Amino acid sequence: MNRTLLLKSLRDLRNAWAQTLALIFIVALGIASYIALVSAYRDLGASYQHTYEQLKFADVTFAVQGAPALVATEIEQVSGVTAVAPRLVIDTGFERADGEQIRARIIGVPPDDQPAVNQVLVEDGRYLTSDDIRAVLLESHFAKVYGIKPGDTITPIINGEKITLTVAGVVASPEYLIVSPSRQEIFPSVRTFAVLFMAMPELQTLTGREGEVNEFAVLVDENRDREEVISEITAVLAPYNLETTIRQEDQPSNATLRLDLEGYREIAFLMPGLILLVAAASVYVMLGRLIRAQQPQIGLMKSLGYSNTAVLAHYLTFSLLIGIVGSVLGVIGGLVLTRGITSAYANELGIPLVQTRLHPDLFVSGVLLSLFFAILAGLGPARTSARMAPAIAMRLDPATALSDGHKSWLERWLQLPLSFRLPLRNVFRVRRRSFSTGLGIVFSFILVLMSWGMIDSMNGLLRRNFEEIEQWDVVAVFDTPQTEALVDKVAGWEGVQEVEPLIQLPATIRTDSKDEDVLLTAVSPAQTMHIFQFSDSLTPEAALANDQVVLATTLANKLGLQTGDTVILDTPFGEHKFTLSGVSDEFSGTVAYISLEQAHQIANMPMPVYNGLYLKVDPAKERMIKRDLYHLPGAASVQLKSDTRADIESLMGLFYLFMGIMMAFALGMSFALLFNAMTVNVLERERELATMRAIGTQNGRIVRLLTLENIILWAVTLLPGLISGTWVAQQMGQAFSSELFSLQITISPLSYLLTALGILVTMLLAAIPAIRRVNRLNLAEATKVLT
Amino acid sequence: MNAPLIECRQVKRFYQMGEVTVQALRGLDLCVDSGEFIVLLGPSGSGKTTTLNLIGGLDRPTEGQIVVAGEDITRYTEKQLTDYRRRKIGFVFQFFNLIPSLTAVENVEFALTLTEQNGRNLRRKAVALLDLVGLADRADHFPSQLSGGEQQRVAIARALANHPPILLCDEPTGNLDAGTGQQVLQVIRELNQQEGTTVVLVTHNTAIAPMADRVVRLRDGQIDHIEVNERPLSVAELAW
Ligand SMILES: Nc1ncnc2c1ncn2[C@@H]1O[C@H](COP(=O)(O)OP(=O)(O)OP(=O)(O)O)[C@@H](O)[C@H]1O
Ligand SMILES: [Mg+2]
Repeated sequence: MNRTLLLKSLRDLRNAWAQTLALIFIVALGIASYIALVSAYRDLGASYQHTYEQLKFADVTFAVQGAPALVATEIEQVSGVTAVAPRLVIDTGFERADGEQIRARIIGVPPDDQPAVNQVLVEDGRYLTSDDIRAVLLESHFAKVYGIKPGDTITPIINGEKITLTVAGVVASPEYLIVSPSRQEIFPSVRTFAVLFMAMPELQTLTGREGEVNEFAVLVDENRDREEVISEITAVLAPYNLETTIRQEDQPSNATLRLDLEGYREIAFLMPGLILLVAAASVYVMLGRLIRAQQPQIGLMKSLGYSNTAVLAHYLTFSLLIGIVGSVLGVIGGLVLTRGITSAYANELGIPLVQTRLHPDLFVSGVLLSLFFAILAGLGPARTSARMAPAIAMRLDPATALSDGHKSWLERWLQLPLSFRLPLRNVFRVRRRSFSTGLGIVFSFILVLMSWGMIDSMNGLLRRNFEEIEQWDVVAVFDTPQTEALVDKVAGWEGVQEVEPLIQLPATIRTDSKDEDVLLTAVSPAQTMHIFQFSDSLTPEAALANDQVVLATTLANKLGLQTGDTVILDTPFGEHKFTLSGVSDEFSGTVAYISLEQAHQIANMPMPVYNGLYLKVDPAKERMIKRDLYHLPGAASVQLKSDTRADIESLMGLFYLFMGIMMAFALGMSFALLFNAMTVNVLERERELATMRAIGTQNGRIVRLLTLENIILWAVTLLPGLISGTWVAQQMGQAFSSELFSLQITISPLSYLLTALGILVTMLLAAIPAIRRVNRLNLAEATKVLT
Repeated sequence: MNAPLIECRQVKRFYQMGEVTVQALRGLDLCVDSGEFIVLLGPSGSGKTTTLNLIGGLDRPTEGQIVVAGEDITRYTEKQLTDYRRRKIGFVFQFFNLIPSLTAVENVEFALTLTEQNGRNLRRKAVALLDLVGLADRADHFPSQLSGGEQQRVAIARALANHPPILLCDEPTGNLDAGTGQQVLQVIRELNQQEGTTVVLVTHNTAIAPMADRVVRLRDGQIDHIEVNERPLSVAELAW
């Protein structure tokens, strides 16, 4: 390539430095977002795998009724077994000072040395030693919820006795990255489930099971057929009453973690991918515009004898420089950001050991896509200009060339004053320019609404569930039947405002082809504690009439049921046939409702009895009321709505973090797009604006003209922006599906308003530097021919 | 004798180009009386456009003063200069510089809105100004639909919109054929004679010189000499 031309490339870049920088920034941000966000998600998977390897997470765990610890050496003999940890695991419980009933699992581990399988990571304090007496390690989730530190005590019931244990250390366990006691319980119970690790000899003594264990955690050689190894071990354990064999993929914490991450698999790629695509498309549009504005220079170059190829090569260099510099910065930025984001995710999920890796496929695809669009942007307009006869290319003022010379009917009809006509016409007549600027604005709407829409919808979902559907503050469930007397008694307590009885039973819903486990709740149709969300004008009285059942919408959809279909409800009192009277749009997808009367009929009870209460209480007294409820005979669980909400919100922590990070990138990109669009929009007309000033137009008027023009642009793009933004958000909502629930995108009017205003304000602010530049332009130079 | 309308005193304009200093004007002394018709002649690069830009308030001298109607415009703030350009100066650029998204009549209207707040008769006045340059029938054309000469005449109509006491024309006929050029000159001449507008007109074309009251010849950023025409010729008399 010609040296003079290369110099010109560089000089062009310098003259349009603000735009060039903005374009480089857009490329860099697009690539960096893509690399960092996709890598972080992938590294999250790698990090838990890494944690599993480091902490020797069991491949298979065998639970037996009881066996001598020495059986472990027999299992070790099985070929393909690389490590075995015999352990004693007991499930027990204790009561906290606030009356909360805690389920506790105590796991025996060897003191001094970590077990060969399922090791723990000490996060605070220390590991157990053989000198310790009555010491435990506490799993970190529970420790965090209640702020328990090494040195504090816990008093679980072991073998019928309250035993006070001192916490020696707070630990992370690969088995409890997500605290899930069993696979049946989908929502983890950090608040009510504690895992304790105790020196095995001490635990054996306390439980009177000296020398005995009830679990064998096993690591299997990767190169061996695991099922073969399992069947050999099963044979070894045959004499000891093998109860369950849990493979790693079925282990509750691991299964939940996978399920949780799986929900993000698509959007973890789609959302950053969209940011990258928007960046690439914007560069294509903006760079093309920058080059199209150079048409006279292209004519000049050709008239000086440069060949088409030379001209093309020149603009290609220009595009490539932007693409390459942007890519390099993007890759570096992506690498830097990946670690931070991965750590944030891992921290949120409680994965103790973070691992980040390079993902060359992301570098390659991100960079190639950007370069492809940059080259395309450089080639297209340059080729058109180069093909033009030099005289024509030179004579055309690109700004003039864009005008088509018709006045719209709207303008004729409106008869607006010139100060409105000019900005209007700049928007509507110079369509190509408006289109590319408008595209930048629409892209901004899409990016912002995409991430905000997800957050807003989730907030709305939780708010609706906890503020509109569930009107109770406390729900108590008993494991013995209660009568009206209890309702009256509790209603008389201080701080209790309202009490409604209910019956809650586990049940299975059966259709011809499918069945689902549900929580069946029987309530009075007149109750006001749980407000059904029917889509039609169905009344609770009609919905809960005899032989009628109400299901959560997601449940009905999953079972393929329509209103009017019949289902079988399998309850502890036998099977009963119901008609689906209506579906209620609720957060929890596994609930069914019938009337109390109906429940009494099914249970065949002579008089009304209940096993639960809904309470509305004074918030200041709810902890006290909870404790008192727990002290009632037969109390099984007492749940505060505020705790449940906090639990669910913290369960959604990854969601909020994930979307928050997406949002930060989306905002950064939107700002860059708007800044670029606004700047180009003004700078492209430098000469025109300088002429206005030269004939005596005050700066203020120029600001008003351009501002009005931007407001018009905004108004025109508002509807397409909001519509396409909502559409993209809906696609993302659909892609974000988990087995737990589906996210319906509902963006609140306030969010729309704030997004629209935010973009308008950003546009107006982003135009300031360019307007200032125009208002300071050297008029003598700017009114001369284009140089 | 009255004080001159425009007085340039030892005006210098240097451009710093890295190591090199370009001396576009190196001490220009020039007085222009009210109602005078001045033609600035000189070879390319001699400083004609620079002089016009300085008088028009588009640029500031490196040294020296420019006094217009008794006021030193080199001391003006940006705001005052804008005001000065709007009220005192009509500028006809060598390259027209019309606003591409406005029609001929709207370009003139735009200039009118700079001083007139009353928007009622703007269009009528703008059409009248276009009529003056013989373009009333092209009023609704956009610049891209006008020939070079037509664009130049729109530019003149725009410059005249606010009845400026001073009209500065940079090569107004440079891009025009002889016939059109004469039409343009005729308009300027009539303005000068009938309204008493002071005109400073830059040209390469020595044939135009005889119509001026005085001809100022520049060379290397200084006045080479000044000729006074005892009897300026009419446009028709010029040997084009
Ligand atoms: N912005 C600038 N930077 C550097 N030098 C400049 C600049 N503007 C003008 N000059 C120089 O000042 C000198 C006078 O320029 P000016 O434009 O006044 O010439 P002119 O007489 O109008 O010429 P022409 O007849 O070609 O239009 C020239 O040598 C020119 O190169
Ligand atoms: Mg000149």
